[in-house]
Amino acid sequence: MADVHAIHPAGKEFNPWPAVIFIVLVCLALLFLAPTAGVLLSSIKTTREIALGDLWSIPDRLYLGNFAEVLQNPAVHRYLLNTLMVAIPATSVSLALGVLAGYVFAKLPFRGSEALFLVIIAGMFFPPQVILIPLYRLFNAVGLIDTLWPVIFVHIAMGLPICTLLMRNFFATVPNALREAAILEGANEWQVLTRVALPLSLPALAVLATLQFTWIWNDFLWPLIFTQSDEKRTIMLGLVNLKGQYSVAWGVQGALSLIASLPTLIVFLFFQRYFIKGMTMGAVKG
Amino acid sequence: MARLTIENITKSFGSVQVINGVNLDIAHREFVVFVGPSGCGKSTMLRMIAGLETVSGGQIRIGDRDITNVAPSKREIAMVFQSYALFPHLTVAENIGFGLRLAKVSREEIDRRVAEVAKTLQLEMLLERKPRQLSGGQRQRVAIGRSIIRNPKVFLFDEPLSNLDAALRVQMRLEIARLHQRLDATMVYVTHDQTEAMTLADRIVVFNAGRIEQVGTPIELYEKPANTFVAGFIGAPSMNFIEANIDTSRGAPAAAFGPAMLPIEAARLPEGPIRLGVRPEHISIASDGEADFSGTVEIVEKLGAESLVYVQTGFTPEPVTMRAPPHLQVSPGDTLPLILDRARIHRFSADGAAF
Amino acid sequence: MERETGVWRLVFLALPLGVFTLLVIWPLASSFYYSFTNWNGFSAEYDYVGFENFAKLWTDKLFFNAAVNTVIWMVAAILLPTLLGLVLALLIDSRIPGGSVFKSIFYFPICLSAVVVGQIWIWIYQPDWGLLNTAVNAAVGSDLSFAWLAKPGTALGSVIVAWSWQQTGLSMVIYLAGLTSISEDLLEVCEIEGASIWQRIRIVVIPLLTPATVVVVALSVINSLKGFEILYIMTGGGPFNSSDTLAMHMYNESFKKYLMGYGSAISVVLFLVALTIIGIYFRELKKVDEIYG
Repeated sequence: MADVHAIHPAGKEFNPWPAVIFIVLVCLALLFLAPTAGVLLSSIKTTREIALGDLWSIPDRLYLGNFAEVLQNPAVHRYLLNTLMVAIPATSVSLALGVLAGYVFAKLPFRGSEALFLVIIAGMFFPPQVILIPLYRLFNAVGLIDTLWPVIFVHIAMGLPICTLLMRNFFATVPNALREAAILEGANEWQVLTRVALPLSLPALAVLATLQFTWIWNDFLWPLIFTQSDEKRTIMLGLVNLKGQYSVAWGVQGALSLIASLPTLIVFLFFQRYFIKGMTMGAVKG
Repeated sequence: MARLTIENITKSFGSVQVINGVNLDIAHREFVVFVGPSGCGKSTMLRMIAGLETVSGGQIRIGDRDITNVAPSKREIAMVFQSYALFPHLTVAENIGFGLRLAKVSREEIDRRVAEVAKTLQLEMLLERKPRQLSGGQRQRVAIGRSIIRNPKVFLFDEPLSNLDAALRVQMRLEIARLHQRLDATMVYVTHDQTEAMTLADRIVVFNAGRIEQVGTPIELYEKPANTFVAGFIGAPSMNFIEANIDTSRGAPAAAFGPAMLPIEAARLPEGPIRLGVRPEHISIASDGEADFSGTVEIVEKLGAESLVYVQTGFTPEPVTMRAPPHLQVSPGDTLPLILDRARIHRFSADGAAF
Repeated sequence: MERETGVWRLVFLALPLGVFTLLVIWPLASSFYYSFTNWNGFSAEYDYVGFENFAKLWTDKLFFNAAVNTVIWMVAAILLPTLLGLVLALLIDSRIPGGSVFKSIFYFPICLSAVVVGQIWIWIYQPDWGLLNTAVNAAVGSDLSFAWLAKPGTALGSVIVAWSWQQTGLSMVIYLAGLTSISEDLLEVCEIEGASIWQRIRIVVIPLLTPATVVVVALSVINSLKGFEILYIMTGGGPFNSSDTLAMHMYNESFKKYLMGYGSAISVVLFLVALTIIGIYFRELKKVDEIYG
């Protein structure tokens, strides 16, 4: 790692900087952790304790009533299930489409392909509100409002730009000679893709799957627009809905937030490396 | 019979023509090397033979079969890439058997033929390894293995040695020469290294700016270069060029440069100034009174088996290079009388053609 | 072979392009169309009203309010996380112990959803027992009970802080990645030339981080343009529209009041704003590419 700060010219006896920086970072880290710590603490306290202003103290006993309350609520089960039913197909299909398009843009360029690629990438930059109304009208016309289908479809479409971008950049690093060697051996483009390019791009797929799954799981806007009945809501909407039901039950709300964030937190813990890689692709040249 | 015929091949990328009407006839079992500077079109020509590039005009045939528009895998050719293009996620055995697997050849048949190829190339111990666990030379053997398993009629090599270090390059060069002796196949080999071309080729094809400058055996190209380009490209260190004028004032025509007057005989003398070409091995130190000219030693490079002496002449823009015996006692600043081997002087007209 | 490649291109691109056209390009074009109508969201009939919706924008005080808030929101939501992320990256990059732990701590909020982040920060700002007031009370010694999110003067700013909390980690990791790509040689040259730390950062490190900054700003622009959810959760645009942005305004007009035609007009404006920003951005990007490419 490039060492920007540390001063280490020979002959210097005492260097106070690392210690100062360390203390500054610890303070900042505590500040950053405080909000999350609040939620964690609330989830293991009773509503009474919180209302009495005892939220920020370390509890002497673990109160699990809030989690029990949340986990026994059938609505929560439904929300989680709905979210999975959106996130899994939407993630896999947007990845698959990104792979197909990315392969063409990286390995089979044609006249105008660069422009087409830019058009697709530009899709990433626009606020989704711009296409909200027409999409609502479209799905209304085909009678899919208040089902999970529009949410899935829209996530596939909205995920396409980032998937195409990352897959194209990854495929661009696969040497052309590999494709040509495979073609000389009798492979067609589909076989080049499935037998050569894809096996080599598992890391990129992991990156994308991580990003897509997290985004779709956390999304609030699309299910807000396309679903109405409680049976079709996803977990993030459910979280907001249940706020009414548990209006002053802060502890239950805390437990609920935690459970809703659990899948993405787990993904984050295990795939942090991929997560960061996906986010930083392009930041470093060569 | 794997005779390879190239007829009037042209290739353009957009409005840029990179191959300008190439004609070539390569005999069965012949080893032909395409050589030339980068961007001369030699690789494009090879890739058109492979079918990796489309042809803008003309025809390519193997034997009597027109393969101009045939899919690469149906041409009965095999290609070894500069980077070897081994599939990093497959083992050596899977790499070699890749084409057979695509062709849905049975498992046992693939195993049998892979084992056979591995034996000829001494790869038996490495079959389960992945390419990244192999040395440069082993990778090249795997690449060759992948190409010979399909019994192609024509082998194509695209600068296969350029990724290897000097010692290994010599070794692999020998291996390719042995392979050629053993296999009943025609080989086309692309390189920018004229030493490789000279050592491997039955015939060399010199490319420049999208056209063929000369075709011939290594010795023909060395001894009778058709023009200054071939003369300068073949042979290391390069041929010395000396600008001269034809002087007919004393009756018999002579080439005049600096203080020297060398008689020249030719059926037809070209108009204007000419250029003389002399290889470094055809310049020597003159004994008293015989010198064509003299010059000042600039640098002496001692290579062990010989020395290269760079001599400033005053009438050539660059110093003249001379091959000298290893223990020649000269140092920079010395003045040397030099003589040219009259029989080995190449003569070129102003447009570069030999006469 | 060329023809065969063409067929494969078609096969590979058909589905992605079909989906993209149907669900992105076509709706985008339709938005323009609806902005000239008075469609109400359910009836099959609607009228062409010309520029009426756009004329209405001009007189809509709430629209202007939302536009101003959008500018404030975007500038703050781009600057704060970018600068804070840069500072954190420089601190963490200085070979202090526990660097990767710090990195994870600052980074993890990015994987939380807008809803959860909103929730967390609603609690921070909670008047009675929220962390902020608890801390302020402890410092000042009096009972403040200030309702940060319920006061027009502080609502938008409070959400921006929450947003920055979540987004800072992202710019930090991008800057960290950029820092690793700065060659050690250049920093050693600085040492030999006798540059101070501050000079080193200002003259060498920050300019060399330009490609990283380009990415950080791009992502910040994308994300902040989309920063609708957290406002929706935390304030809903209130109180008294003090945190209303264009996206929020568009949502309210379209899906609360069912003025879909008018909502479309707002989204067209939003689109043009985004287009302008992206245009400027790509022009700058070209310059950067010429230097650092």
